[in-house]
Amino acid sequence: MAAEEQPEPQPEPQAQPEPTPEPEPTPGPGPAEAESTPRHRLRVALWPPRLSRGQVVVATLLLVLGFALAVQVRSTNDHSQLRGARQEDLVRILDELDSRQQRLQQEKTQLEQSLAQLENSSNQAKEAQEQTRKKATELGVLAGTVRATGPGIVLTIDDPQRQVKADMLLDTLQELRAAGAEAIQINDVRVVAGTYFTDADAGVQVDGRKVSAPFKFTVVGNPQDLTPALNIPGGVVRSLEKQQARATITQEQKVVVDALAAPTVPQYAKPAAK
Amino acid sequence: MIAVLGLVIGVVVGLIVQPEVPDAVVPYLPIAVVAALDAVFGGVRAMLDGIFDDKVFVVSFLSNVVVAALIVYLGDQLGVGSQLSTGVVVVLGIRIFSNAAAIRRHVFRA
Repeated sequence: MAAEEQPEPQPEPQAQPEPTPEPEPTPGPGPAEAESTPRHRLRVALWPPRLSRGQVVVATLLLVLGFALAVQVRSTNDHSQLRGARQEDLVRILDELDSRQQRLQQEKTQLEQSLAQLENSSNQAKEAQEQTRKKATELGVLAGTVRATGPGIVLTIDDPQRQVKADMLLDTLQELRAAGAEAIQINDVRVVAGTYFTDADAGVQVDGRKVSAPFKFTVVGNPQDLTPALNIPGGVVRSLEKQQARATITQEQKVVVDALAAPTVPQYAKPAAK
Repeated sequence: MIAVLGLVIGVVVGLIVQPEVPDAVVPYLPIAVVAALDAVFGGVRAMLDGIFDDKVFVVSFLSNVVVAALIVYLGDQLGVGSQLSTGVVVVLGIRIFSNAAAIRRHVFRA
């Protein structure tokens, strides 16, 4: 009766059952033989349920087993694997997590550093761009490609006798520049570095464009500097008055130089290395 | 039949009730379950061999469970708990396999 335990530790009984089932099928038809086949025993055990003491005891044990099985499966699936883990496993997992956290922390620090670097360089680039734009605007005012506004004066030269020539306008311009004029426009011509004056039959040409009296100089600069520079004895205004021309100067808090000069690209001159 | 019913009812009750496993039992429950499974397979095989006896089954069932849990407990105290439980599971698994093979030969004659 202890055979239930005996076959398990010993491997030999595994081989033995093989021969036993084989002879059975041959005499199989006899009912007496069929009684002893394992299949029949299984059927008999399974089907008509008998309420014997053994069955009840076995059922109780199996109930406990099923209960434990279900509980174990449930707890394994429900909870994390940490539940039921051994102490040394937990220590190992904790160590791994610690080192992993350290690695991630290092990575985070590196990423933050590179982020700071990138932000820094991006800020620098923005700064440089801003400065470049500012510079371009300032240079545009000088080159006459940008409109300029600010305090300044408006000088109007009435010339009923048509005596004002190019040299007088040039003298006026020189005087204004010497007095610190920053943006100048004569009638609707912007005065830039390359501006030239010519006398033509019909009058005066500035940069090849005809300007006629009254000549109106719109000048951005310090009015307190510009006005005396024009009015000094023997200066521009006196010279013009000798030619029967009348110059009037008005100081204004805000004048607008809105004529634009076409930018020219130098054909021969190139920046020389320092 | 009643035994099979008991198993099914036990599984269903366990799934429905979902009790919290006490922490003291947690390391031993899986081993105990495997040991009990081994006993059940041995019992089925004995039944097919025609030598089943409920007394032997009860004793082997309980002793399997107790011995398995004891081995694991001892291993825990000695500091080789995980290795010992692995060994117990391996041994029980081999036995379950051999019993299952015997059952298969009986039932399918193959």
